[in-house]
Amino acid sequence: MEIFVNPKYDFLKWRFHAIALTTLFILAGLAIFLTRGLNVGIDFAGGANVILRFQKAVPIEQLRSQLPNATIQSYGKSEDRSVLIRLPLQQQEGDYAGQAVTRLHNVFNPAGGSKVDLNFQGSGSLSELLKSQDPDLKGRGIAAEQHYARVGQAIIAKRSELGLFTDYGQVTSVPGLSTASARVLSGRSYLGQFNVLNQESVGPQVGRELQQKAIWAIVLSTLAMGLYIAIRFDLKFGVAGIICLVHDVLFAFAFLAMVRGEFSLITVAAFLMIIGYSINDTVVIYDRVRENVKKSRVREDFDTILNRSLNQTLSRTILTGGSVLLILLSLILFGGEVIHDFALLLFVGVIIGTISTLTVVPAVVLFWNKRLSRRQGTYGGGNRAEISRAATRGEAPALSVKTPRRAKG
Amino acid sequence: MNRNLWWKIVLILAVLVIFTAAIIPTKNNPEKIPLGLDLKGGTHLVMQVNTDDALRAEVDQAVEAAKSRSVAGGIPAPVVRRLSNNSFLVTPAANRNVAEYERVLNDWFGGFSGKRTGQGIEYTLKTATMNEIEENTVLLSMETINNRVDALGVTEPIIARAGSGGDRIVIQLPGVDDPVRVKEIIRTTAQLQFRIVEGTPSADPQGVTLPSGVTAADVDILPGDKHDELGRVNGTQYYAIRKSVPVTGRDLKSANTQKGEIGEPTIGFSFTPDGARKFKALTGSNLKRQLAIVLDNRVQSAPVIQSEIEDRGVITGNFEPQEAADLAMILRSGSLPASLTTLEERTVGPSLGRDSIRKGVTAAVIGFILMLLAVVVYYRGAGVNAIVALLLNLVILLGMMAYFRATLTLPGIAGIILTLGMAIDSNVLVFERIREELRAGKTIRGAIESGFTLAFGTIIDTHLTTMIAALFLFQFGTGPIKGFAVTLLIGLAASVFTAFFVSRVIFELIYLRTNRPVASISI
Repeated sequence: MEIFVNPKYDFLKWRFHAIALTTLFILAGLAIFLTRGLNVGIDFAGGANVILRFQKAVPIEQLRSQLPNATIQSYGKSEDRSVLIRLPLQQQEGDYAGQAVTRLHNVFNPAGGSKVDLNFQGSGSLSELLKSQDPDLKGRGIAAEQHYARVGQAIIAKRSELGLFTDYGQVTSVPGLSTASARVLSGRSYLGQFNVLNQESVGPQVGRELQQKAIWAIVLSTLAMGLYIAIRFDLKFGVAGIICLVHDVLFAFAFLAMVRGEFSLITVAAFLMIIGYSINDTVVIYDRVRENVKKSRVREDFDTILNRSLNQTLSRTILTGGSVLLILLSLILFGGEVIHDFALLLFVGVIIGTISTLTVVPAVVLFWNKRLSRRQGTYGGGNRAEISRAATRGEAPALSVKTPRRAKG
Repeated sequence: MNRNLWWKIVLILAVLVIFTAAIIPTKNNPEKIPLGLDLKGGTHLVMQVNTDDALRAEVDQAVEAAKSRSVAGGIPAPVVRRLSNNSFLVTPAANRNVAEYERVLNDWFGGFSGKRTGQGIEYTLKTATMNEIEENTVLLSMETINNRVDALGVTEPIIARAGSGGDRIVIQLPGVDDPVRVKEIIRTTAQLQFRIVEGTPSADPQGVTLPSGVTAADVDILPGDKHDELGRVNGTQYYAIRKSVPVTGRDLKSANTQKGEIGEPTIGFSFTPDGARKFKALTGSNLKRQLAIVLDNRVQSAPVIQSEIEDRGVITGNFEPQEAADLAMILRSGSLPASLTTLEERTVGPSLGRDSIRKGVTAAVIGFILMLLAVVVYYRGAGVNAIVALLLNLVILLGMMAYFRATLTLPGIAGIILTLGMAIDSNVLVFERIREELRAGKTIRGAIESGFTLAFGTIIDTHLTTMIAALFLFQFGTGPIKGFAVTLLIGLAASVFTAFFVSRVIFELIYLRTNRPVASISI
């Protein structure tokens, strides 16, 4: 199958329209960022996140009165009966997610006392409880320890599968749990109101450091890529590449601001993937441009060569982009709560990374070329000389095609 | 078929076998690629060691010592007051001058620098001493945490030092489902106990022989380090320790390093009045027996009781000076040499982790299959070639991760997607080139040759550019960013191999095996 056989689209003609559109989008995102601010996650802002899953309907009002400073919103589908609680940054370092969870646990399970909460405690506490009672008469040795550890883990594995226990039948049906052990559990444990799916706290110090490191990682790697392209190809391509990456990241950032997505370390990883994809796209096209410049025997405009290169690589651009988008689409649709936002950002990023290679990069390169050649006085020749010089520098050992000038001479 | 091609096929098969073997879970090792806490569930903690605590404890000890040394040196005890975390002031007793105290105390307080002030002598911890104390405090805290995490039975815990000052400890406990309990265990002051040893220790926990009249119910079997003749640790041995705990760390008043008869390091300690009574009874009735000093359920040392000890005693043994100092610090503090503050905590419950793995893997597999289908529809025969290359790429990537025990995290999945994207891109670049060459009227053989040659430069460029970026991310990134960089670096290397080597060999195998001209190509 072939979709594009010798395509002859005039990409350059549309570059300003496309750039105008994306710039508008970025500006809109920026406006939202300035008015509503960004939803900065606890990675960078500090603070705490707690995700709880309840047995019955989520007692939102009670949660609000217990944690007046917190932002509380439902998490996942409504039948999951889960809630995401975001606690603001505290001045002091400490484990405030844990403290809040412990407090909520006491409030929602007033009758708990010294019993073990099967929906709250982990396998360690369970094993210890069983070991101390020894219903299976295993004695005190290592064998007993291993036996009860296995039982404890089996119960928690069952809980993980279900989300949380809602009645004792689910506990007693766990394979490997003897009737005697089940009796001990029913006497000394209970099913608490909620299960903690996730709890995170980031102190002010760590938040600041993570932020700085993430910014450095992005800035340095972008500059390194630009530098490589500048050395391998040409300074103006390097600059165009960096501008293109900045454009892509800004776009992704604008998208994030619009959908109120959380800005976190994971978001930074997504930005990095977008950058990686976009630069890959750009390099492929630059490579073709360089090759075409070497090959071109008639006197051709740089615009024409650029456009031809974009067309020649078009099916590759679409096919590669399409393949990656297929995986991402699948992650968005089936990947679940944790992956969804991440994949969505990547999806948008890959699309914009592809488009920017066809619009932003040519725009910058042509702009640079025209400014430069106007100073030199010769329009077409200036373009040609610039590219040929890059090509004859001998930096492309794989492609030792003679330059047109030498071929003529 | 030429020999060269055979060798290439053998190499590819070898790579396939080796990396597949690396991924396939075994009974002993069901999780070949460790999953990150975000996928598997578990606890990640960053703790700050408050090294000031240790400095303060050091100064507090010195304050006591200044009084007792003065008396031992024949001058009345001075008034001593702690000024800050790292300094104290010695004010001479009435009618005594500063020089007398300096003569007695300056040598004793080698780790401090003394300075005369209007009120007396001000002793401040030297910077080198402070650094040493801080360093030891962090190391000791790590060791203590290590022992406790070991006792929890966590598989593959990570306990590492971090932070620019090196005063932070990162603790990663994969699969731990009980953060409250973990933090309690890490933080609580451990029990320091003095208990009596029964029988002789043995390398086998079951093999400890008990003297007659003592049954297994009377003792706990506890591990401790085994030392060779020169006092070096050379294994673990198990002691039978009597269950009753007559004296604990709460009964201690102070502990510090001293010099023994031949200058060897020893640890001197003293008890509170109540503790002294209990300790006297314990030692008096157990002369010539081993007294185990048990910390966190591990036997630290088991010296023989030489005489009845009342309010103070000395622990002798083959101690390195450092060991003696550490033990003294542990004795002083009861457990952790300094308090810990939680700077960061992330706990993913097992339910959420399990859920994200299941959904994530399903989604990734669906996406991957869709991608493969698209390639086959578009390139037909050559598409199958690309599929082989991609699958091999995935196998190499996962195999390398298993080999290096690189953790797979959510950002790592982004790295894999980018890698697969670039791997498929390499194949697409080659195929598009071959199509172009065919359209330009080249023979099939020629088109394949120049397709690979022409695409080579581009593929190297794209991979190198991304690799450079990945190296920077690996160097400067933290946590998730590093995870992304690792998968990306490994994946890119695999991608170059599969696109150039594997894909090409398949083409050669199908179309270029013989010297006959090729009639048709499916691309």
